[in-house]
Amino acid sequence: MKYILFCFLAISSVTLSAQQKQFSKDDNGKFIYYQVVDSQLLNKDTLLQRVKSFVNVVYKKSMAQQTVTDSSVLAKGTMVIDKTILVAGHPSGEVSYNFVFEARQGKYRFWLTDMLFIPYQRDRYGNFVPATTIGVPLERTPGKLGAGAWKDILSSAYNKVEKFGDEFKKYLATNKLDKTKKKAETISTKKW
Amino acid sequence: MKKLLTAIFTMASTTCALAQETTSSPLEISGSVDTYFKYDFAKNPLNAKTSFVTDHNSVSLGMIDIALKKKTGKASFVGELSFGPRGQSQSIPDAAAGGSSFNIQNLYVNYDFTDEFSMTAGYMGTFIGYEVISPVGNFNYSTSYLFTNGPFQNAGIKATYKFSDKVSLMAGVFNDWNVYSATRGVSAVGGQLMVAPVEGWTAYINALSGAGFGGYGTIVDLTTSYQITEKFKLGLNAANYDIKDSSVPGSYAGAALYPQYAVADAVTIGLRGEYFKVKAAGAVPETAFTAVTLTANIKSGGLTFIPEVRLDHNSDKPFFNKSGAAAPNGGQFSLAAVYAF
Repeated sequence: MKYILFCFLAISSVTLSAQQKQFSKDDNGKFIYYQVVDSQLLNKDTLLQRVKSFVNVVYKKSMAQQTVTDSSVLAKGTMVIDKTILVAGHPSGEVSYNFVFEARQGKYRFWLTDMLFIPYQRDRYGNFVPATTIGVPLERTPGKLGAGAWKDILSSAYNKVEKFGDEFKKYLATNKLDKTKKKAETISTKKW
Repeated sequence: MKKLLTAIFTMASTTCALAQETTSSPLEISGSVDTYFKYDFAKNPLNAKTSFVTDHNSVSLGMIDIALKKKTGKASFVGELSFGPRGQSQSIPDAAAGGSSFNIQNLYVNYDFTDEFSMTAGYMGTFIGYEVISPVGNFNYSTSYLFTNGPFQNAGIKATYKFSDKVSLMAGVFNDWNVYSATRGVSAVGGQLMVAPVEGWTAYINALSGAGFGGYGTIVDLTTSYQITEKFKLGLNAANYDIKDSSVPGSYAGAALYPQYAVADAVTIGLRGEYFKVKAAGAVPETAFTAVTLTANIKSGGLTFIPEVRLDHNSDKPFFNKSGAAAPNGGQFSLAAVYAF
């Protein structure tokens, strides 16, 4: 019985903490995920190179670079929102977004905005595919019937965007050449 | 209880750990449950001439449908089973078990050789037609004559090449319709050309020739839908099926139009207008049906309420009136509840 109670409390805590996170709004009333990051050890050119690599290599299947200047990168992208029950679930839709990166000496900022949601539906072969081609802005106020489902979508979208942001920051802070060298190291069992 | 919980958490942790070490996606679980009430205006259940929604003045079952999907690297599988009248006795390939077993909706493996080229083998929902067995895949709860008379599922091997997001081509060899194992060998060839000329508009031109209903035959089918605005969507299905032996009944031709309009966030109203002709064969004369179905989809989370009014007409009087006499018109009201997860 104690274990059941513990499980319910754990699940409830996760749910509550997920509900607390939400997007901020920008000057135009649109949802935005905005981050400013101190980056004293990396110069502007290195940052830009890593951003381009992140967009065109790591996320090449879901992001498309739009414009690049000597201090900024603009891209469009999509991310899949999952409906998860413990470890199993299925995609419930995708969010398209505009991604902006700007660098200055010693720091950079990036944000995701213009987010549109496209719901998925299961096709005749059991695969989840977009139900429509026209996305709904995440800022919309849903009707009473769809309010609960929309809240879940917002929560899932925020978690996914936050995860994306963390991954982006980590990627920019990591020297890929060092990582490659490290991977190539072998372990000898002859001497010990 | 302690052991059970430990086992569940161990399995969950193992799956998570494995997912981190390989390129596999998590196991996808999805499905649906549906139930309905139908009232036939002539109080006669025999007036239903298309699949499912058969009972009169009864709260009846559709089916419970459970689908699993897993992708590891370039390989994936889908397994989908359904239980209940819609997925069992009314879904054809269950004759050997007297309609008492489950029905496999999909059971196939797929391999993506490249981003453009993939191959699939197994038992799959048919690529022909607009409507499907699963109520989640249809806007209307009752089904069209084109759906009822066409194939439901095909077992076979198919290859798909995606030229771009706007064009793809599928070709394959298949068993006869709706059987888990071939009764006349791998005896049909089929293909599908998908084109998406403008954003929101997708058209599938399908053909299947070989062993099918009524012997050997060829079906040619056009299935298309166009999301014209955020609120308005238009769908069309047209098909022609000819059985090689013209004395065998079962050849048909028809078309159905599906306009749908979202009147609110959670409410969409749609119409299905259909013309369906069963071709003359031997001594059996030609006969034609027209049907109009007015349907609403009211969504709240995973639940969809589907109120529907349907009117059918055939001048050869295949329907029955309240007194049991032959009649040219049939009509029904139904209210269905479909939950998708």
